[in-house]
Amino acid sequence: MGNWERLVWNQRDVLLAGLSITVQVCAIAFLVAILGGLALCLVRLYVRPLRWLAVLLIEFFRDTPIFVQLMWVAYVWPEVFGFPNDFFNAGWLALGLQSSGYLAETFRAGIEAVPRGQRDAAFSAGLSPVQTFRRIVMPQVVLASAPSIVNQFTVIVKSSTLVSVITVPDLMSQSQKLVNVWYEPIEILTATAAIYITFIFLVSACGKLLADRLRLRYGLVAA
Amino acid sequence: MSDALKQSLDLSMFWEYRAILLQGLIFNVLVFLCAASVALSVGLGAALLRINRLWPMRLIGTLHVEIFRNAPDYIMLVWVHFVLPLLIGIAIRRRVEFHPFTSAVIALGFVYSGYFAEGFRAGIQAIPQGNLDAGRSFGMSERLILWRIILPQVVRRMLPEALNLFVSMFKATTIVSLIAVPDLMYNVSMVIQQEMRPLPLYTGAAITYFLLIFLLSVGVRHFGERWRRTSMA
Repeated sequence: MGNWERLVWNQRDVLLAGLSITVQVCAIAFLVAILGGLALCLVRLYVRPLRWLAVLLIEFFRDTPIFVQLMWVAYVWPEVFGFPNDFFNAGWLALGLQSSGYLAETFRAGIEAVPRGQRDAAFSAGLSPVQTFRRIVMPQVVLASAPSIVNQFTVIVKSSTLVSVITVPDLMSQSQKLVNVWYEPIEILTATAAIYITFIFLVSACGKLLADRLRLRYGLVAA
Repeated sequence: MSDALKQSLDLSMFWEYRAILLQGLIFNVLVFLCAASVALSVGLGAALLRINRLWPMRLIGTLHVEIFRNAPDYIMLVWVHFVLPLLIGIAIRRRVEFHPFTSAVIALGFVYSGYFAEGFRAGIQAIPQGNLDAGRSFGMSERLILWRIILPQVVRRMLPEALNLFVSMFKATTIVSLIAVPDLMYNVSMVIQQEMRPLPLYTGAAITYFLLIFLLSVGVRHFGERWRRTSMA
């Protein structure tokens, strides 16, 4: 137990600093994923001339491995687009883009599941298209896709371990630094794995609870 | 700025190194094939544990699924490569080291076994009790019932989902370059160190993977839809 205290508990500040970076990267990436996914999905469904572009982007984000995308965004984008200017930004951007592709498809499935008749009813009641989308369609989409959205967040957390490769000081990278100082990987890496597994387990358990609550309360969608 | 764009879209350098890059891609496929067979067999084992009559067995099965489904594959890869050999070494009092390829197969295989276990379990539990009773009344052994009655139906039910898992698994093989398995991404970074030109090489890698996985997943989607229409009613 002495080793655990020396290598893990006494280093908790280093690990916690890493965890806080991990949480920041994931939170920003999640926000980007939701906004980007919504934008891509709306363009795909309602902006005819740009449909092909949205489809291409969605497929590209979904079908490229996250590690490849991360390296590409981190090393090619700054030269070509002048952004992202540092690796922290590259990290959340790559994670967010990949998940936005998946969420775009989730939102699309949710929107297409709303029966046509409801939209007609809203129009005939005098609601504008924007109002119809906000008041009639969107709440149902959120309810229907809540579990997938939570699941996508856990995917982001899992992939966020890779930002350590582009030297973002997240939990993974901090624990590898500790391993390189002490040359004793057993306790440090096991503790890191345990932290990640517990964190992701808690996120998905809470998410499931929240999604079930929402559905019970607004019970519009059959599970 | 447009110069950088031109540079990253000029794939002649990527094409120049096609032999070594293709070799890397073969490693991706090899890792994928080995890890997929590990994932399928361990997944089936975990599913059988989860529906076992004895609760300690069920507990082990549930722990297996919850741990591996919630674990990031990169940390598992690092853990298997750097910690597992030490633990085995302490147990058998000898120095053990894993070849990076072995670590990659074990790590990816076990991570994805968690997902496959859930598929197997759902498939097994969907089989009507009557099928099993009928098998038993014919005097079939439990083993024979598993192979002849349960698994054929499970495979039919979970095939579309399993193909999706295989696609994600193939995508995950790109991270094995991080423990120095000489796959496509590893060779790409080697060439980049030599040539000092990341733009065309990373772009080329991204496009290659995109085309490959896009074709795979379009095929899987088509197949899955047809499969659902024809084999399930």
